[in-house]
Amino acid sequence: MKVLIVDDEPLARRELRRLLAMHSWVEIVGEARDIEEARERVEALHPAVVFLDVQMPGGTGFDLLEQLDRPPRVIFTTAYDRYAVKAFEVNALDYLLKPIEPERLAVALDKIRTIVQPMASSTGEAVPLDQLFVRDGPRCWFVPLNQVAVFTAEGNCVRLHWGKARPLLARSLLALEAKLDSRRFFRANRRQILNLAFIESVEAGARGRLHVQLMDGPEVEISRRQARIFRKRTTV
Amino acid sequence: MSPAPGVALTFDRAVADSAMRRSLLIYWALQLAAWGFCFWWQARGEVIFASAPGWKAATLWGGFSLQGLVLTEGLRRLSKRQAWLELPSGVLLLRLAASVFIITCIAYAASLALSAALYGDPIDPMLQSFYRKLAPSIRLFNEFLRVLTVYLAWIGAYFSLAMIRHRHQAEVRQLKLSEALQAAELSLLKSQLNPHFLFNALNSVRALIADEPTKAQDAVTQLARTLRYTLACGGEELVTLARELEMVEDYLALESLRLADRLQVFRDLEPVALEASIPVMLLQVLVENAIKHGIAPLKVGGTVRIAARVTRAGLLVEVENPRGPQCVQALHEGLGLRNSTRRLSLLFGSRASLELDLADPVRAVARLRLPR
Repeated sequence: MKVLIVDDEPLARRELRRLLAMHSWVEIVGEARDIEEARERVEALHPAVVFLDVQMPGGTGFDLLEQLDRPPRVIFTTAYDRYAVKAFEVNALDYLLKPIEPERLAVALDKIRTIVQPMASSTGEAVPLDQLFVRDGPRCWFVPLNQVAVFTAEGNCVRLHWGKARPLLARSLLALEAKLDSRRFFRANRRQILNLAFIESVEAGARGRLHVQLMDGPEVEISRRQARIFRKRTTV
Repeated sequence: MSPAPGVALTFDRAVADSAMRRSLLIYWALQLAAWGFCFWWQARGEVIFASAPGWKAATLWGGFSLQGLVLTEGLRRLSKRQAWLELPSGVLLLRLAASVFIITCIAYAASLALSAALYGDPIDPMLQSFYRKLAPSIRLFNEFLRVLTVYLAWIGAYFSLAMIRHRHQAEVRQLKLSEALQAAELSLLKSQLNPHFLFNALNSVRALIADEPTKAQDAVTQLARTLRYTLACGGEELVTLARELEMVEDYLALESLRLADRLQVFRDLEPVALEASIPVMLLQVLVENAIKHGIAPLKVGGTVRIAARVTRAGLLVEVENPRGPQCVQALHEGLGLRNSTRRLSLLFGSRASLELDLADPVRAVARLRLPR
């Protein structure tokens, strides 16, 4: 498993390297000292997991994730950052407190192995986007895409309908659409993309439009133009 | 510091107890003297002016005085139990007026009855001789006024004295309370070590142990000294700049481990300044701020300049750091500096100052001025 270490402190990087050396299946593909370097390395090296320090020159680890089109799996490392850690308790992403305990690291690696290993067989780039990093105000989430019912454009941003949460993603709907798996997501109209797995019922509307009821989600209208494509796809 | 409040409390209580005993003693002395004088003066008057038999005069005025003593003591106890002095002044005045009226009526009735029993006339013979020209009803009214005057005087005197004492005690309590609050606030404001620093330092040490054990040993020593200084500083407010700098040097050495070549330090210290006093942990806060907001956010790091000199006004300490374009002013006015400013004003009033000079767009200077 390819990992990248992102930390501005040389000693902290050295320490993490030593700790990771105990796990032979982990391959450290590189290190980065700041946000910019980290972005370059992630895009060039496609690590499966990034060990990410929260506080760094040039921005926080959250800033990095926001800049990445395909956020990798992340294990946060922090000395004492209650707030940062709290922000991530939302969906139980892993974090390690420095000085890192070897046992705690082993647990985190085991957990990540069960998630990453099934995907490791296919090459890194071919894997479709399966999660988004969303920061909305003080809170951050890794949002699994298969749990999002519908994406709605709001100005230049996209509102996610994800369970009870409605986080706002700072991307355009068009940019997001390009990255989504077209077998699972469908552009319903100018403003919305829906998750096909969430469709509960479809009803014909006026002038060739379709009304789609989503599971614990809103009703979405499919425009006439898109309805034709929708019919073609669903009848095939 | 911890046993002090308890000690202070028992001490205060002992002082308060002895003060209360003394004032009670004074009260009884005055009370006995006043009613004793009343008895002696009136009984003597009655014997001299009305040629009344001694035992009759003594019985009448002894009764009157003894009754006065009992009634006023009763009033005093009642007012204590119900804490009349805490009442709003309007309510207190109303109660006092009612007390005067009720007590006067009781005393008036009793003295009329006693006089009637002894002399066969409700008005005693001495007053009879004074009131000779008045109609009997006016005599009775005059007698009422006389009793009223006695109790009005007593209640007026007692409660005004008690009120003055009460006010004074409240003021003292208020003063002590605000002193205690200030002390508590000072110890709260005194900066503790930032946990972020602590855990990062421990992480550095852990990294050093295998490859560079000597450096690791040094780091542990420095960390121990830094911790000891922060823990010990609970007791004192002021230390010499030299002592504070020793701690800051340890702190800087630990931060250098972490930041490596990104942190440089330039010292510009006048030897006389080293003997000056400075609030404990204050320079540390300034240096920590300089690193946290100045050096750490910069990829290339920079130089922290620590300068101290003695001017005519007193000690001047400056901590200067570079700042990046993204480092906004608001970031700089963090909790650390705000607490330090508050601490200075508690310790020195307006004679000390701490300012953050952001005139230069790429540098920030924290400037601390302390009186001699």
